[in-house]
Amino acid sequence: MLSYLVRRIPSAVGVLFAASFLIFLMLRLIPGDPVDALAGQDATQESRDAIRADLGLDKPFWSQYVSWLGGLFRLDLGQSYRIGGDVGDLLRNGALNTVVLTVAALLIALVLALVTSLVAVIRDSRWLNAALNAVNTIGLALPTFASGLLLVLVFAVVFPLLPSGGTPPEGYLARPDISVQYLLLPAFCLALPVWAGLSRFLTEALRSQLRQPYITTARAAGVSRTRLVVRHALPNALPSAVTVLGIQVGTLLGGAVLVEQIFTWPGLGSLIELAISGRDYPVVQVLLLLSVAVFVVTQLLTDVLQAWLDPRIRIGGAR
Amino acid sequence: MNVPHRQAWLRLLTAAVALCLLSACTSAVGEQARRRSSGEPVDGGTLRVAALTDLIPASVFGQSSNGGNAVIGLVYDSLVEYPHDSLEARPALATSWKVAKDGRSIHLELRDDVRFHDGKPFTSEDVKFSIRTIADPKWAVQLQRTAAAVTGFDTSDPHAITLTFDRPLSNILDLLDIVPIVDKDTFSQVKAGTGYNGTGAFRFDEWKPNSEISFSRNDDYWGGKPHLDGVDVKIVPDPQAQAAGIRSGQYDLLLGATARDAETFSKDPKYEVLDFEGATQQTYVGFNLKNPDLKDVRLRQAVAFAVDRERILDEVYRGEGIAQNLSWSPGSPAYDEKAAHHYDRDVDKARELVDGLGSVASLPLQYIAGDPTAEAVAQIVQANLDDVGITVDLEPVEYAQMYQRLVGADYDGLWIFGHTYAQYTPATLPVSAYPFNAEHNASNFLSPGYAAHADQAWAAAAPDGPKAKRAYAGLNADMVDNVWLTDLVTFWPRLVTTSAIHDIDYTKRTELIARDAWKDQ
Amino acid sequence: MTTSRQLTRPKALAGLGLVGFVLLLGLVGPLLAPYGPLEQIEGANLVGPSPSHWLGTDEVNRDVLSRTLSGIRLDLLVVFVAVPVGAAIGVLTGLLTAWWNVADVLTQRIFDVVLAFPTLIFAIALSAFIGPGVWTIAIVIVALEIPVFGRLVRTSVRTVREMPYVEAAQVAGAGPLWVLRRHVLPNSLEPLTVQLAVSMSVAVFIEAAMSFLGIGVQAPNPSLGSLIKDGTTLMYDAPFLALGPLALVLVLVLGLLLISQSLSEAHRD
Repeated sequence: MLSYLVRRIPSAVGVLFAASFLIFLMLRLIPGDPVDALAGQDATQESRDAIRADLGLDKPFWSQYVSWLGGLFRLDLGQSYRIGGDVGDLLRNGALNTVVLTVAALLIALVLALVTSLVAVIRDSRWLNAALNAVNTIGLALPTFASGLLLVLVFAVVFPLLPSGGTPPEGYLARPDISVQYLLLPAFCLALPVWAGLSRFLTEALRSQLRQPYITTARAAGVSRTRLVVRHALPNALPSAVTVLGIQVGTLLGGAVLVEQIFTWPGLGSLIELAISGRDYPVVQVLLLLSVAVFVVTQLLTDVLQAWLDPRIRIGGAR
Repeated sequence: MNVPHRQAWLRLLTAAVALCLLSACTSAVGEQARRRSSGEPVDGGTLRVAALTDLIPASVFGQSSNGGNAVIGLVYDSLVEYPHDSLEARPALATSWKVAKDGRSIHLELRDDVRFHDGKPFTSEDVKFSIRTIADPKWAVQLQRTAAAVTGFDTSDPHAITLTFDRPLSNILDLLDIVPIVDKDTFSQVKAGTGYNGTGAFRFDEWKPNSEISFSRNDDYWGGKPHLDGVDVKIVPDPQAQAAGIRSGQYDLLLGATARDAETFSKDPKYEVLDFEGATQQTYVGFNLKNPDLKDVRLRQAVAFAVDRERILDEVYRGEGIAQNLSWSPGSPAYDEKAAHHYDRDVDKARELVDGLGSVASLPLQYIAGDPTAEAVAQIVQANLDDVGITVDLEPVEYAQMYQRLVGADYDGLWIFGHTYAQYTPATLPVSAYPFNAEHNASNFLSPGYAAHADQAWAAAAPDGPKAKRAYAGLNADMVDNVWLTDLVTFWPRLVTTSAIHDIDYTKRTELIARDAWKDQ
Repeated sequence: MTTSRQLTRPKALAGLGLVGFVLLLGLVGPLLAPYGPLEQIEGANLVGPSPSHWLGTDEVNRDVLSRTLSGIRLDLLVVFVAVPVGAAIGVLTGLLTAWWNVADVLTQRIFDVVLAFPTLIFAIALSAFIGPGVWTIAIVIVALEIPVFGRLVRTSVRTVREMPYVEAAQVAGAGPLWVLRRHVLPNSLEPLTVQLAVSMSVAVFIEAAMSFLGIGVQAPNPSLGSLIKDGTTLMYDAPFLALGPLALVLVLVLGLLLISQSLSEAHRD
C-alpha cells in the first residue's frame, strides 16, 4: 500500500514543479503591469520605481521565481498587490468557503447517486428507469449557470424560501440550521452534473455486475435482489465509481467558478477572477498552483483508494 | 435481511426531511421587512448593504469603489460638507472658516470635542496630515493638483488651522469637502486594510476581502449617537444577485442596482428608490488624439452629432438623467443650455462632416468588459456611427486595464467610460478629472487656450462671480469647439432600499452616510 | 463497420435528429431570419414575444430570434471545427509519441499539467493573455482536447504494441507507421468516436460558460452562450430572452450525449 503510494509520488511532484514554473512565467507575459495599476497618473518615475522595488518586481526573473518558491516552502505566500492583505489570509477565507461548498456538493451528489442508482437497479422498473434516465440526461445537458439561475428564480425570488446567495452571516458553525439553508442551493447546483454522471456510471456498473456468473449462482441459491445488489454488486462496482468521482472532484473546482459567481459565494473561484483582472501576481500564482495541486492530489488519492478497494492493482501494480 | 436495509434508507430519509422542517422554523430569509413604521426614529438594527465593488486598500482614496466609498462615508468626517444638492458648504469638523481676500489662504476653526475612534483627540495636525496624504501622487487622487497647491499649514493652535496656497484656489471648499480626516498615527493600517481610524459615526470593525466590511456604531460620535447598531457591507459583484438578495430579504440597501432594476423597484411599495441628483455622473465617448484619424476635429464632431443621446437616456438609463453633450447640471454656475445641446443629434450634419473627410478607417471603441450598461451604450453608439458611415470595432477591456489606459492616456481610439466632478465648483473638473485635466488628460488634448481658461476659473475668487463666469464660458466654448470627448448622459446614483430604512444620505462623491439612518424594528 | 449499425439504434437516431435539427437551423436559419442579427429596430426595446418578434427583442432593440439563428453558427464552428482540430492534433501526437519512450513520458507529463488546470480557470487566465473572443474559446477547446485524445490513443498504442501478432509483424520488418495505421487506428476508432461526441457536448458547455463569464464571444456578435448571458442579466424584466438559446443548447448537448451514449453502449454490448 505504502510502497504503491511512494511509487506514484515523484511524478506528482514533477507535475507540480513544472506547473509552478509555467504559471510564474505565463503570468509575467500577460499584458498589463501591476505597477501601472497601483501608481497614479502623475506618479513620478521615482515613485513608480519605488513601488516596483516594493513589490520586488525589479529583481531578475530567476531570483523572483526562486524567492517565491522559497516563500512557498516556508508557507509565506506574500502580500497581495491589489486586493489587499496577506495572500495566506485571502486564501484561507476563500478556501474555507470553497471547500465547504465543494464538500457539501460532493455529499449531495454521492448520496443522491447512491440512492437513485440503487433504487433504479433494485426496482428495475421500466418507467422508473426511463424517468431517472431522462432526469439524468437533463442533469448532464443543463449548463450549471442555467440550473443555478433557475434555482435562484424559483427558490429565492418567486418563493422566497432560501437565500439567493452569499455565505451565512455568522459563520458556518454558529447556526448550523441557517448555514444549511445558505448552502442548499449552490451546493445542489454544483452537485447536479456530478450526480448525473456518477449515478449513470454506477447504475451501469451495478447492472454489469448483476450479469456476472457469481451473481447468477447467488440468485440460484435464493438470495434476494436487494441483498444481491447491496451486498455483492455494490462493493464490486465501487472502485471504478470512485475513479469517476475523483475525476469529477477536479472539475468541481472549475464548476465552482460559475456557481460562486451566480450565488455570490466568496470562494476561490471568485478570488481568482478578481486576482487575474487586477494582475495580482502573488494571489494568482498561488491559486493556479493550488488548483493544479488539488487535481494532482485527488488523482493520487483516487488511485490509492482504488488500489485499496481493488487488491489486484495493489499487488500487481499493473498501471 | 432486506427489511433492515430498507429501514435504514427510510430512517435516513426521515432524518433529512426532519432537518428540512427544523431548519424551516428559523429561516435564513425570515428577517424580512414586514413591520410598520411609526415615523419616529428608533434605535437598533444593522443596515445590510450590498456593494458591487470591494474596497481596494492600496487606492482607497483614489479609485472609487462601493466598498471604499462606504468606508470613507461611514468612518471619516471632512472639515466641511456640501449638502448633496448644493455648493453651500456646511460646518462639519470645522465650525467656521474664512477665505482671505486674495484667495490665497483659508482660516478654519475646528471642533475641540472630537476624538478618533481609538480615543485620540482630533487636532489641526491631523488636518495637515490628511491634506498632505491626498497631495501624495502615490494615492492617485483626482484632486491631487488642488491638494498639492496647499503649501502652508499653520497648526500652532490645535483647534484652528490656516492653510496657505501657492495660487488662488476657487475650489478649496471642494477639497475640504472631499478630504477624509485620517489619523496620522494609525495611517499605516490603511494601506493594509486592517484599520480605519476616523472620527465618523461608525467604527470600522473588520474587512474580509472579497466578502464583507463591517462597521459598528460610534457611541461617542460628536454629532450624536447614531440610531443604527452597525452597518454590514457585503460584496455582491452582480447587480442581479443584489436585486435577488433584497427581494429575498438579505439586504436592506443596494448600491449597485441597474437603472432597470431601480425602475422596477420604484413601482413596488415595499421598496424605495433614492435619487441623489446632486451626485451626478456622466457617461461619455472619449477620443484619443494620438490616433491619426481622430486628430481631425471634424471626425470628432461627426461622432458628437451622430450619437443618439435621447435613446441612450431612455432605453439604457430608463429616462432618469439628462441627455446633453456637456457635464454641468442646470444648477451649476457653468451651465449653458445652448452649449449643452450644441451636439443634439443631427444625422445629416454628421454625414456631411464624414463626407468631407473622404475615407474613414474603422476605429476601435473600448469599453469596460462585463458591464451590461457600458455594453448596451457601446452597441447603440456603434449603430449610430454606422448610420453616418463611421465603422467602429467594439473592444471590451477589463476594468483594471481600462483604468490604466485612462490614467496613462493610452486608448487605441474611441472609448466609453464614466466621469464625475461636474457637480462641484466648476474649476474642479478641468483641473482634476482625468478626462478634462487641462495639463494632462486621457485624450492627449493640449491647448493653451483651454489651459488658460481652466486657470482663470481656478483663480477666480468667487466661484459664481462675473470673472469666473467669463472663464466658464471660455471652457464651454473650448469643449464644444474641440470635442476631445463628448458627454452622452448625465445621471445620478439611484439607491434601492426596503421601505423599512429611513434617512439614508450620500455625499456628492457618492459616499454612503448613515449617521441619521434608522430601521423599523 | 459497426459504427454505422450503432447509429441506427433509436437512441442514436434521436440524437442525430436533434443535432441535425440544430445544424439545419444554423445553416439555413440566418437566411430566413426576419431581421439582421445586428439590426437595431427603432422603438422595439425589450418587447416580449409577439408575432413580429417570436422571441422578443433585447435591450438594444434587436430581434432575438434572428440573433439566435445566427448565434448557432458560432457554436457549430466550435463543435464541428475546434473539437475535431483538437482531436486530430491529439490523435497524431498520441500516435507518434507513444512509440518512443522518451517522447511518450515527456508528452504524458505535459498532458498531465494541461489537464491539471480546471478548464474555466485556464480559460480565464488565457483571456487575460490574449483578450476575450472567439479565438480564445477555440484555443481553450483545442488545448483541452489535445491531451484528452492524445491519452486515449496512447493507451491503445501501448496495448496493441504488446500483441503477439504485432510483435511478429515488427520482427518481420514492419515499420511503426504500418503498425499504427493497420492496427492501432482501427482498434481505437470506437472509443475515439465516443470521446468525440462527448467532447463536442463539452465544447458547447465551454462556449456557453465562457460567454457567460464575459470572456467568450463579445458584443455585438451573438453566440448561444452570449445570448443566454444577455438574457440572464435581464432575468426579472425579460425572462423570455434566454429561453430560445437555452433550449437550443439543451437540444444540441442532449443530441450529442445521446449519440455518445448509444455508441458506448453498443461498444459495451
